[in-house]
Amino acid sequence: MGLHKTEYKGLLGWIDARMPTLMLEYKKHMAEYYAPKNFNFWYFFGSFALVVLVIQIVTGIFLAMHYKPDARFAFESVEYIMRDVPGGWFIRYMHSTGASFFFIVVYMHMFRGLLYGSYRKPRELVWIFGCLIFLCLMGEAFFGYLLPWGQMSFWGAQVIVNLFGAIPLIGPDLAIWIRGDYVVSDATLNRFFSFHVIAIPLVLLGLVVAHILALHDVGSNNPDGVEIKDKLDPQTGRPLDGIPFHPYYSVHDTFGLSVFLLAFFAIMFLAPELGGYFLEWNNFIPADPLTTPPHIAPVWYFTPYYSVLRATTEDFMWVLAAGVAAYAILLYLTVQRPAAKYSILIAALVVVALMIGGPLKLDPKFWGVVLMGLSVLIFFALPWIDQAPVKSIRYRPFWHLLLLVVFVLVFFILGFLGTQQPTPGFTYLAQACTLLYFAFFLLMPWWSRAGEFRPVPDRVVFSAH
Amino acid sequence: MASEAAPGPIEDDRRSALISTCVVAGVGTVAAATPFVLSFQPSERAKAAGAPVEADVGSIAPGEMKTFEWQGKPVWVLHRTPEMLESIKRADDRVNDPKSERTAPGYPATPKYAKNEYRSIKPELLVVIGICTHLGCSPRGPFGPGSNPQLGGDQGFVCPCHGSTFDLAGRVFKNKPAPDNLPVPPYKFLSDTVVLIGDDSKA
Amino acid sequence: MKKLLVCLMLAAGALWGAAAAAAEGIHMDPFPDERLKDLASLQRGARLFANYCLTCHSASLMRWNRLEDIGLQDKQIKDFLIFGTQKVGDVMAVSMRPADAKAWFGKAPPDLSVIARARTSFEYRGPDYLFTFLRGFYRDAGSPTGWNNVVSANVAMPHVLWERQGPRETTIERVVHTEKAASKIVTVLDHAGLASTSTTPLTGHPEESLEISFKPVDALRARQFDSDVADLVGYLVFMTDPSARTRVLIGVWVLLYVGLFCVVAWWLNRAYWKDVR
Repeated sequence: MGLHKTEYKGLLGWIDARMPTLMLEYKKHMAEYYAPKNFNFWYFFGSFALVVLVIQIVTGIFLAMHYKPDARFAFESVEYIMRDVPGGWFIRYMHSTGASFFFIVVYMHMFRGLLYGSYRKPRELVWIFGCLIFLCLMGEAFFGYLLPWGQMSFWGAQVIVNLFGAIPLIGPDLAIWIRGDYVVSDATLNRFFSFHVIAIPLVLLGLVVAHILALHDVGSNNPDGVEIKDKLDPQTGRPLDGIPFHPYYSVHDTFGLSVFLLAFFAIMFLAPELGGYFLEWNNFIPADPLTTPPHIAPVWYFTPYYSVLRATTEDFMWVLAAGVAAYAILLYLTVQRPAAKYSILIAALVVVALMIGGPLKLDPKFWGVVLMGLSVLIFFALPWIDQAPVKSIRYRPFWHLLLLVVFVLVFFILGFLGTQQPTPGFTYLAQACTLLYFAFFLLMPWWSRAGEFRPVPDRVVFSAH
Repeated sequence: MASEAAPGPIEDDRRSALISTCVVAGVGTVAAATPFVLSFQPSERAKAAGAPVEADVGSIAPGEMKTFEWQGKPVWVLHRTPEMLESIKRADDRVNDPKSERTAPGYPATPKYAKNEYRSIKPELLVVIGICTHLGCSPRGPFGPGSNPQLGGDQGFVCPCHGSTFDLAGRVFKNKPAPDNLPVPPYKFLSDTVVLIGDDSKA
Repeated sequence: MKKLLVCLMLAAGALWGAAAAAAEGIHMDPFPDERLKDLASLQRGARLFANYCLTCHSASLMRWNRLEDIGLQDKQIKDFLIFGTQKVGDVMAVSMRPADAKAWFGKAPPDLSVIARARTSFEYRGPDYLFTFLRGFYRDAGSPTGWNNVVSANVAMPHVLWERQGPRETTIERVVHTEKAASKIVTVLDHAGLASTSTTPLTGHPEESLEISFKPVDALRARQFDSDVADLVGYLVFMTDPSARTRVLIGVWVLLYVGLFCVVAWWLNRAYWKDVR
């Protein structure tokens, strides 16, 4: 008859007989998904990210009922929402707070990956989907930021689109194609609205589903880096160190969420602008294509990469060229195959020529864009550049943790510098930090293998609570 | 070892905790949903656009009609001549609801000051919303006697969409698609020549 | 590990301090925040705003009836604040056309709906800026409008509140140095804006500085004026974010509720995790 034999009763039984997938998937991903029992603080942020995604979508839907994506009306429509729409201020502040919190949560989530080697085999694909989500998130934030049509919105978009104009040969035409006009205008606003409201959210949802499915297929990592599937219960076949996600982690994450919401609502209700970092002051001035505000900086979550862009000056190109040459030599000495050896040398020669080689030289403006792009894209490479024999920081030499702390510090310093005016002193600091940032990744194949590693236990380290 | 639910006090504790959490979460969910639901209500801008309108009726000559806009709807102010008032009396037995007593969901009941022979505060000034009570078109008129075949010898208004006809007090004639008389909006006289449409408070 | 963290925090503090010191700027007089809780002050500010500012500046995102939030009734708003035919549900638009304004003043007067936030920066708060700006006009016969301003030199806006402020004498002390010598230039502007300057050479390498001080003729009137401006700026702050008070009040309750939810969720978590060994 086509009906599946069901163990459930009532309405659930009726549905299960016709769509067994529902309960099968529920069991696979919740009630019988065995996650390691030793998850700690760093493991909350994945579920927080999902919650913030839902918050942004729901608040976004309601904002779109009142917002006008027209350069003449956009700015006032946002204030209309704040003042004239009942409950409008609540929805707007929730969306703006959520945007910044999305990045806080995602950065913490990524940091967990660095701490415990969550991107290592067999979870490389989970990591790649995650990096793609990160790229989409940056795009979503960028397109969304134009919508209030304030001074920061306008000039931020103008600068970023002009970055694409820095690409040799096709740049200027590409920039016009992206904008739909010669400067950022109503045409740009309307298409960015479409990207922000439907195009990227659809892609994001697809990627999030892929990210979670890929994770559930291989199983979660944990703070000890121990593969729990290696030690199964002989009778049940379930991981000895695993507990079903539901109810243990649904309940655990509920508690975590309550603390998260405390922080979220504290900011949303008591300090939604957060000193001008969550809602920028300049954005309360309507967009004026004739006047650039004296201090323009991207929103806080983009500032580290912006620092890298600004650090790439004419003089710095020499340092970078030396760095490329040195790295090429290091690779040459390390790789075995002659074909690889020689292609590395040739590639390095070409790059150095394009950096500092007289008539062939490309503008530092272009290299700044390249470096900024690489500073984000390099995260994709982590599964392959991290070659430590153990996954988790807990069993690595102490100085590996120090390097990680230095990396975090460098990230914060670059972020801070991005909010400031580029004085000569700050520029040197940004350049030093840029070198450290890239060195952390590019030298990882070597440093991740060095030092004395501690023995990784068989079973996870867990104390009952 | 993966645990199953244990019987006894642990289960009771879990159940109590679960119920408490659900109740508290439920309260929070309702509270959080409130601004979203409220945001559907008319905004201050919509309410401002629907504010009462002052209409200068002193310049309307006898026999003439002027249309004012209130809440996006046409409000007719017709200065009726004695002859027009006569035609209303004559139509008493041919209109559906001569005393304007009908009420219906969604149809604003006729205010007390319009529950009279001429459906108005001052007999010579008709104030009605010019929207047919059938499906919302705006009738045409006022037509004098014999000038419109659908009215025959009567005077009044004719709706172009489905042919409903109304007399010069806005009352719908019998056997027409429209069920109700043209609605009378709340209104009051601020002076002899100024009517405030949309507000009939005593204050 | 702890030592490391302490070192890092000190370094962070030093960086932040360096950045703050690098940010030069005009000293802004602090706006008395407690005025924001005083409804009577906000109402006086609304009146000053309607009388003095709304002739040139619009506030086209603010509705008249929003003033109910500071305790005014529709009748009061209509009778005392709205001039002309605007209704109480209308926005505070003005009839001056931007093109005309540009021709007359050189620049269209900005809309003031969100001015307290628009004038905030990382260096100073918007209310402090507005408070200093509105009290910072001084008579200067050498400028195009006859007035100048400590915050915004050669500003196109005339001193609309001059009658309330009353006359005062301005002293500008400037320390400048060229490659070879340093000097202190003191300019005194009288009530008519006429300047008399004296220059004193200085030894050493003093830092460049600029200080402007005032001597009002009528000190009592000047103090009353300061209070009036505080009322006005308080109103501007209210107008920038009218829902602020409601938001904070609701926020306190929300946080209490979430605190309760934290407790209940912690209990739930413990109830389940008790048996995980």
